Amino acid sequence: MPLIIFNGSPRGKNSNTTLLMDQFIAGYTHGNDNQAQVHYLIHTKDADKNMELFQDAENVILAFPLYTDAMPGIVKHFIEALQPLCGRSGNPRLGFVVQSGFPEPHHCRFVEAYLQKLAKRLGCEYLGTIVKGGVEGIQMMPPNMTRKLFKTFYDLGVFFAKYNAFSSELLRELTPRENMSWLRRTIFRILNLTGLTNFYWNMHLKKNNAWDKRFDRPFA
Amino acid sequence: MKILILDGQPDANDVQYAGYLRQLVQRLRAGNHSVTHTIIREQSIKYCTGCWSCWWKTPGRCFVQDDSQQICADTIHADFLLFASPVIMGFPSALLKKTQDKLIPLLHPYIQIVHKECHHRKRYESYPKLGLLLQKSPDTDAEDIKIITDIYDRFSLNFRSTLDFTMTTEQPVEEVFHAINHL
Ligand SMILES: Cc1cc2nc3c(=O)[nH]c(=O)nc-3n(C[C@H](O)[C@H](O)[C@H](O)COP(=O)(O)O)c2cc1C
Repeated sequence: MPLIIFNGSPRGKNSNTTLLMDQFIAGYTHGNDNQAQVHYLIHTKDADKNMELFQDAENVILAFPLYTDAMPGIVKHFIEALQPLCGRSGNPRLGFVVQSGFPEPHHCRFVEAYLQKLAKRLGCEYLGTIVKGGVEGIQMMPPNMTRKLFKTFYDLGVFFAKYNAFSSELLRELTPRENMSWLRRTIFRILNLTGLTNFYWNMHLKKNNAWDKRFDRPFA
Repeated sequence: MKILILDGQPDANDVQYAGYLRQLVQRLRAGNHSVTHTIIREQSIKYCTGCWSCWWKTPGRCFVQDDSQQICADTIHADFLLFASPVIMGFPSALLKKTQDKLIPLLHPYIQIVHKECHHRKRYESYPKLGLLLQKSPDTDAEDIKIITDIYDRFSLNFRSTLDFTMTTEQPVEEVFHAINHL
């Protein structure tokens, strides 16, 4: 039976979630006849169909970006469609992937607590949550900057194929520290003075001829 | 005080909840507060698509012309923002969450270190204080309330504000009124 992956990015296929899960799937299906199916939660009209896919699956991974410190609206919409399955016997094993823009994993820990409770509420065996910060921008990074990240997601897939679990060692590799060290904060502050930390935003602001409007307050 | 209530109740037939909110609004108005009660299910709001237009194409404004623009305007003019919702699967409704996602244009993309963590720079001088009013479901327990409160506490940090309380509709309207009135 295929591994069912729900991609909860509001960007759908064109997302950081896809980039990471593609690696996971490549690892999961390498050298065996495993299969993985991805379903995109941006199709909110498919909520009932997705609920059925969920109830028939053995293993489910729900992957999404952190949105205002929790799950995006489309993911909550999907979770609400699962309500009839609460406590039913035969629900799948359930794991999660949460990735965020801010670099510190700490930002994701609060929704992680929610997800763990969600698995319990549904009566699903909880497989854990893969957390990764600092993911916005990976679409435009050169390969040498994402190699290690992608390799870790690939290895997580390989491990999952073998043990039906997330490797705690690899999880730690993704989140060596919960918060920024004093040194990193200091470096960040210095780079902030040079504007380097805003490079990503500035580049897009300029590309869109919106640089002059960047401090606009349309509702003031 | 200017108060905005963002009401995420999806069920128009929940008369108990509607009655509670109606009483609360009346009580706040009687206490000389100006109240906007926005019932999200009656609004047309598209889901955020993560396109970042609001940060790098039309700074401060969602690219999509839906009712979230009025909600952003009401939010930034409010002194207090109350998120009201039933608890569904251990969390406020998808309606409320979708609306919350659309508040992101009110912040600025630039990152600053606040309380030793990365957060976004303010776009406006000040942001409303926040409160949470939850209607429990039969399966809601104290742990759920704590999980929700923790998440909204975190959101308040990112929103450069504070979460002043979490209350439930089991508490008398008068208590919620006092909690807001004393701010
Ligand atoms: C509306 C909105 C809210 C967001 N809220 C947060 C947040 O609270 N914390 C955070 O670290 N990143 C936040 N992000 C950033 C995303 O988590 C990050 O860009 C992610 O990598 C996007 O993944 P995707 O391409 O798979 O959708 C937010 C992004 C958007 C568009």
